[in-house]
This record gives sequence, C-alpha cells and structure tokens, in this order.
Amino acid sequence: MSEDFNDNKTIQAQSSETISGEGVRGVAPDKDYVRPAEVADQDLYHGHSFITKWIFCQDAKVIGVQYFLLATFTGIIGLILSWLMRLQLGFPGAAGFMTAEHYYQFVTMHGMIMVVYFLTALFLGGFGNYLIPLMVGARDMVFPYVNMVSFWMFFVAVGVLLASFFVPGGPTGSGWTLYPPQAILEGTPGSGMGIILMCVSLILFVAGFTMGGLNYLITVLQARTRGMTLMRMPLTVWGIFTATVLAMLAFPALLVSALMMTLDKVLATSFFMPTILKAGEVLEYGGGTPILFQHLFWFFGHPEVYIVALPAFGIVSDLISVHSRKNIFGYRMMVWAIVIIGALSFFVWAHHMYVSGMHPWFGFFFATTTLIIAVPTAMKVYNWILTLWKGNIRLNTVMLWCLGFIVTFVNGGITGIFLGNVTVDVPLSDTYFVVAHFHMVMGIAPLMVIMGAVYHWFPLVAGRMLSEKLGKLHFWITFLGAYSIYFPMHYLGFIGVPRRYFEMYNSPYITSAVGVNEFISMAAFLVGAAQFILIYNIIVSLRMGKPAGKNPWQANSLEWLTPTVPPEHGNWGDKLPVIHRWPYDYSVPGAKDDFIPQTTPPSEVAGTEVEKT
Amino acid sequence: MSEIKKEQTTTHKIGIYLWIWGLLFVLSFFSYMVDWYQFQGLLRWSLILLFMFLKAGLIMAFFMHLFWERYALVNVLLWPMTAIACFVGLMVAEGKYTLFSRLFYFFVGGQ
Amino acid sequence: MSEPKIEGYKFKPGYSGMAADTASDQTMFKGVHWGKAMMWIFLLSDTFIFSCFLISYMKGRGSTPEEWPNPSEVFALNAFGVPVPLLLIAIMTFVLITSSGTMALAVKYGYERNRKMCGWLILATALGGLTFVGMQAFEWSKLIHEGVRPWENPFGAPQFGSFFFMITGFHGTHVSIGVIFLFIYAYKTFAGHYDEGKRGWFTSMKGDYVEIEILGLYWHFVDLVWVFIFAFFYLW
Repeated sequence: MSEDFNDNKTIQAQSSETISGEGVRGVAPDKDYVRPAEVADQDLYHGHSFITKWIFCQDAKVIGVQYFLLATFTGIIGLILSWLMRLQLGFPGAAGFMTAEHYYQFVTMHGMIMVVYFLTALFLGGFGNYLIPLMVGARDMVFPYVNMVSFWMFFVAVGVLLASFFVPGGPTGSGWTLYPPQAILEGTPGSGMGIILMCVSLILFVAGFTMGGLNYLITVLQARTRGMTLMRMPLTVWGIFTATVLAMLAFPALLVSALMMTLDKVLATSFFMPTILKAGEVLEYGGGTPILFQHLFWFFGHPEVYIVALPAFGIVSDLISVHSRKNIFGYRMMVWAIVIIGALSFFVWAHHMYVSGMHPWFGFFFATTTLIIAVPTAMKVYNWILTLWKGNIRLNTVMLWCLGFIVTFVNGGITGIFLGNVTVDVPLSDTYFVVAHFHMVMGIAPLMVIMGAVYHWFPLVAGRMLSEKLGKLHFWITFLGAYSIYFPMHYLGFIGVPRRYFEMYNSPYITSAVGVNEFISMAAFLVGAAQFILIYNIIVSLRMGKPAGKNPWQANSLEWLTPTVPPEHGNWGDKLPVIHRWPYDYSVPGAKDDFIPQTTPPSEVAGTEVEKT
Repeated sequence: MSEIKKEQTTTHKIGIYLWIWGLLFVLSFFSYMVDWYQFQGLLRWSLILLFMFLKAGLIMAFFMHLFWERYALVNVLLWPMTAIACFVGLMVAEGKYTLFSRLFYFFVGGQ
Repeated sequence: MSEPKIEGYKFKPGYSGMAADTASDQTMFKGVHWGKAMMWIFLLSDTFIFSCFLISYMKGRGSTPEEWPNPSEVFALNAFGVPVPLLLIAIMTFVLITSSGTMALAVKYGYERNRKMCGWLILATALGGLTFVGMQAFEWSKLIHEGVRPWENPFGAPQFGSFFFMITGFHGTHVSIGVIFLFIYAYKTFAGHYDEGKRGWFTSMKGDYVEIEILGLYWHFVDLVWVFIFAFFYLW
C-alpha cells in the first residue's frame, strides 16, 4: 500500500520567497517574507480504482459533491412532501389518499429533512468539504479517512430516515420537534417504529457529523497554508467554521435527547413521560418531565438555526464582495459578528418555549438575550448593504440571489424580533406567523445563498458556466414565488390561523383565509417546479455550458488559483500557495487589475493602496 | 505532521505524576469519608463539590497536560463551559419550579 | 506539551502569547499534533454529551415528588457480614485512578522513547480498565438481582434506575472502547510502530509516540467523567 502515498517533498518548505533574517542578523525584514512551513506536507492516499476514486473516496472535494448530491436528493423529497401539504391546505380533499395522519407525518418529515438532512448537510458537508481545504490552502482535510466515514454515516442515516416511510405505521408524525409525551404514545402517527427509526437516524447523523466536524475544525485551525492567518480567511470559511463549532457543541444535546426518547419508547423508562391518564387508565409511565426534552431539544435546536444561517452569512459576504468588486465592508466586524452570534446562540434556546409552561421567570432572561443577537445580525446586514454601496455591481444571477437573500433575511429577521418578545410571542405562538418567520429566515434566505453559491462555484466544480438566462428565470420565479408564499402567511398568523392543522374546516374566522390559502398553494407548486430549472440547467451545462477557464469571476480567494480547474486531488500540484493578503483586494486604487489575488506578494503591488492585512 | 521526530520530546519529572497520583487517592478517600461519616446538608454538598472539582482540576491540569499547554488551547477548551454552566443554573431553577408546581397542583390544590 | 521550536516564530507567554498564536498563520495551537487537537475538540464535544446526561439527571431527580433512593444504602456491599456503604464504588474509583496514573506515566515514557516501559504501562492501564468494566458488570447484575430495572425499582423513584443504567452504561461503553484501543496501542508499541514511524491502518500519517498521548487524553477523560459520576450519583 505504501506506493500509494506520495512521500514528503521537503523542498516545499524552502521555496524561493523564504528569506530568513527577520531582524536576526540586523537585516531589514524583507516585505515578501513569509515564515517557513511549520508542518510537513500532508501525505495523501491516492485511489486508483473506480471505487476508491469516486465512491469510498478520501478526497474532500469528491466527498463534498457526494454530500451535496445526497442532501439535494433528500431535499427534493422534502419539497415533494411540502407540495402534498400545500395541496391539502389549499384544496382540502383534492389529494384523495391524504388523511390527517399522513398530513402530520409529512409535516414532520418535511421539517426534519429540510433542517437537518438538507440544509445542515448541504452547507457543512457539501460546501464545507469542498471549500475549506481549497480556501485555506490545504491539500485535503486533515483526516481524509474519517471524512469519508463521515459521509457514509450520513448515507446510512438518510437510509434509516427514509426507511421509516415503509415500516408499519409509517414515519413519526409528532412534528419535527418530536415533543414527548405525544411522540411515543399511541394515537400519534408513527409512534411505533417511526419514532424509533427517527431517533436512530438522528443519532447516526450526529455520530457521522462529529467525524466530519472535527475535520473541518482542525483543518481550519491547524492546516492553513503559509501566510494564511485567521483574519485573512474568506468569510465563507469563517461562517462554516463557526457553524461547525456550534454543531460540535449543540448536537450532543440532540444525541442525548434522542437516546433518552428511544429508551422511553423501547424500555418504557420515564425520562420525559409524566403520569398519564388514558381512557380512564393510568399508563405505565410516570414521574418524568416532558419539559426537559424541550430544553434539551432547543439547546440543540437554537444553535441549529445558526448552523444553517452562519455559513449562509459567510458565503453571501464573499459573493457580494466578488460581484460588486469591492472589499467587504468591515471585514473584522463581520468576523466578530459571526463569532458573537455563534456564542450567544447557546444562551437563547428557551425563546422557543415561551408557551411551554417553563419557569415563568425565564421569559425575561431569554427575551433579553434573544434581542441582543439582533445587534450583531443587524451589523451584518448594514455591512452587506455598505459593501454594495457605490460598488461596481455585476447584476448577474449570483448577485440577484444575494440581493434576494438580503431582502428575505431582513424580512424574516424583523419578524424574529416580534417573536423574541414574550408578550408578542404568546398570541402569535403556533400560528402561521411563526411558519412565515422561520421559513423566511432559515428556509428561503439560506436557500437563496445556496442557489447563489451554486451559480458562483459551479464553474469551479465542473469547469463550465451555468446558463445565465435560465438562471435569471429560476431566480425571478423563486424570489417572487417565495414571497407570494410566505408574505400572506404573516397575515394568516395575525388572524389566528393555527399551524400544523390538517384542515381549517368551517371555522367562521378562518373562512376568509380560504382564498389566501389557495393562492399560497398555487405559488408553492410554481416555486417547487421552478427548482427543476436549476437541475435542468446543471445537466445541460455539464456537457454544453460555456467553458469557464481559470477564475471566470476574477475572484481573489484561493479556490480559484489552483493549477488545474477543476482542482485535482491534492489541490495544489507540487507547491503549496503562499498567502500575502486577505481575499478582498478588489478595485484597489493604483493596481493594474481590479483584483489582486491572495498569492500576490507585496513587492508586485508596491505603488497601490492595498489594505494592510 | 507526519515526519518522525528522532529526538525525544522533553518530558516532566516522574515526581510530579506520582504526587498528583497520590493526591488523587487522598482526595478520593476524603470524598468517600464524606459519605462514611454521613455529613448532611450544605456541608456534605459543598465538600462533595470541592473534592470533585479539585480532582477534576488535577486530572485535567497535570495528567492531561493542560497546565503546560499554551493559553490558546486552554481558553478554547474552557470557555464553552460557560454554556454548560448557564444550562445547569437554569435547570436547577426549572427543576425546583416543576417540583413546586407538582406539589402545588397535585397535592396542595387537590385537597 | 513542551514548547516546540518553530523557525521564525517567537513564543510569548500567557495571554499575549494567546493573542499572538491566534493571529499567526498556519496553526493556532502551536506545535500541537493534528490528532491531538482533534482529540481535544472531540473531548469537548463529549463533555457536552455527559453534561447533558448529568443535567437531565439533575432535572429529573430535582423535580420528582417521589423519594429518591439513598445511594449509600443501595450501593452498599456486605463485607464480612457488615454492610459497607459504597465499598465496590470506592474500589472502582481506586482502580480507575490507578489506571489513569499508569497511563500518564506511559505517555511520559513514550515521549522518552522508552518502548518497553511504555508498552507495559499501557498494558497495565488496559488491565485496570478491564477490571473496572468487570466490576461494573458485577454491580449491574447485583442491582438487577435486587430488582432495579430501567423502568422501576423497589427503592423509590423509577427514574433512579433509568438514569443509573443510562449514564453508567454510557460511561462503561466509553471505558470498553478505551480498553480495546489500549490493547491495540499496547500491541503497536511493543511492535515498534511508533519508533519506526509505521503508517496506521486507516490513515496515511506515520506513527509517532504522540499517539500515546492522544489515547491518554481519552483515557484521562474517562476518568474525569467518573469523578463527576461518583460525586453526583453515588455521593449526592
């Protein structure tokens, strides 16, 4: 096996720029000097067969694409489930097979799939794997084998999750929050095998994700290339990195709650199960506290929101900067905002539980911490807008998605401020206002960023451009359609339409909502269908797209500076890149191009007003 | 990272490990004695916590070498514990409230 | 553990050193092996798992109106006809701390490239861990024999058994995994994999005695968790 490794090329540590003499012998420090490598170059295992190259592959880029494809596949299942739900809500009875039980199961699976198996896996597993090693100038993740196992654990977790559709009783129908006691009691759909498979799948997901997450963290912290300081990393890496930190600390709570729930179901323990009277009989359970589950779940669940949001923040910052040809406004502030949002997210979880019957004093504490988060978040929004301000904006598909993100995110964020206040939240709890809020802020907004990122990085992955025409069509239908779906939902919430109801029947105050519901459903069908434009676009462009060439967007960051496009295993050929600046030197006065790649040494841009980073 | 360091890494004297080892035994013995003499109330809990944190601190600081690590690593490892501390504090309050409402509504209110 | 030498980088002490390390390029934890950094972060994550378990236990115990069984009676063991409270637990603690000490010494001798000594100490650690698991199995079977079940027990609140089996079971799983790895590493040490830098089975990294320290971190962590379980479960 040893011939599969390329042995250390120790020459790399002593490249031509290395001029030792930092004040040691009284020599003036050369301004192009970068410290030699601390760590010897990584040995990589190069696969030779089809299986080791494309299936059980240790290359982070292939693993990233695998994550992306599998997450997209589960996401499409989630999309189809949402169609079925909207069909029932807009046109009750139109789908003949749909019973109330089915409806609850679809709600549950849609929520869980979209939050955990689609968005988390896509951002951290997909974009994280592909971009982190490239952007920090590493050859691969630090533990490629563990990284590979991570993906296959995710694969098994998805398999177990989807298997629950085919067991007796079907998947669990207790809502994506899986609140006990109802999640495991008879009468809730899927309270048999469904909930067990859901818990097992979540445990597998957490175990797999921990393996991947350790890789992302150590790659960022310990495997950066020469000259790459933390404050010279693209914000994409910062966003994914911080989200991974959150995941490593928040998923344990999910693991514990899933494990305890499984024990409650399988061994009839009573961790979460209080004494329950059912049809006049006391059940075997007794003495547990259901509210403990809610605390554990949301101790995971709230950071989870930022696990989805922070990578989106990071990626959108880079996209906006590249496509408005300006440095990101307040880079350091953006980094600190990401870190502070991440840290605060562990102190706000019970704002999801204002109506749960928890300790009444908690409302004050959690409302305060929740509203503090608005400060760094608002800071980020201002900085995005100020980056656009007087920029040389290219209004291409990528930029359109970014603008769409800012609008939807501001919208969803502001309704979040409503819901963060206890007095406003109590009447709005469990109405469509909440549905509108979280779909806006952590559904549509991150999705806009994913779309933008796909249009931005597809040329890197495939070497060909996506069609701009189809892209713009895709954007406008999605953006206007998504607004048509979620904006009226705020109104539905205000008039008191409760969420998770299978049918509104003939409640007098809800009959006025019939027309709105029909409209929302039509829009949902359209938006869902529009996503297949992207799939068509990708399939066609893979073969017939315009060849991208090197660095089609004139970007600065490292992923575009590999010797071959798309990058090969090992990323950098014989010689690792050396970094001299941050990735945001766009439109620098005095420079010959409007961008200065990160590898450009200071002596080459001597007469220009570059930022000191 | 994968190069072999032929020279040996500097290590600490064996005495420090033996000292810590001994201290751990003594502290475990003390915490056992807390139960043996059946101290109750605040004294028991504060002694248990004191010996627990001392033992945990010694293991982390010397056996796990955290005392000799650079602050960058130490701080990264210890700051997240504030989230746990917050969680613990709130759950103490929550547990008391749950017990209160159970006693109040099921026993007091039931009569 | 000791300060490494890095060309072109000047180490500063304390918090100014932390600022300098964090602001520097390439690595944040200077001189820390990738695997060691990974183990530390993993242990941080694992700490959150055990914290969540113990917090749940605290919340469950704190809010049950039923009487919680008195641990010093439940876990008492008859020695020569006299019930001694927590006797078995005291011995288990003793064994685990002993194995932790041998592990610490194994790390030390590993770094001094004393292959034999290191190997024997790892083996001693593994045997200590095995003894611990064995005694835990004895404790479990004794309690099960007395009628303690995850869903009920004759002494009081049913949650007692639930939390006891879950938390000690999870800890015992950690110990068992540790024992397996200790045996593997003892073999690798005696076979000289760390002296000649042989590549591992699932990694392209070359073997080094730092792997003993990484395993040691895990083993000390298991001991650390036991300190908390001992305090909160058996003494409280």
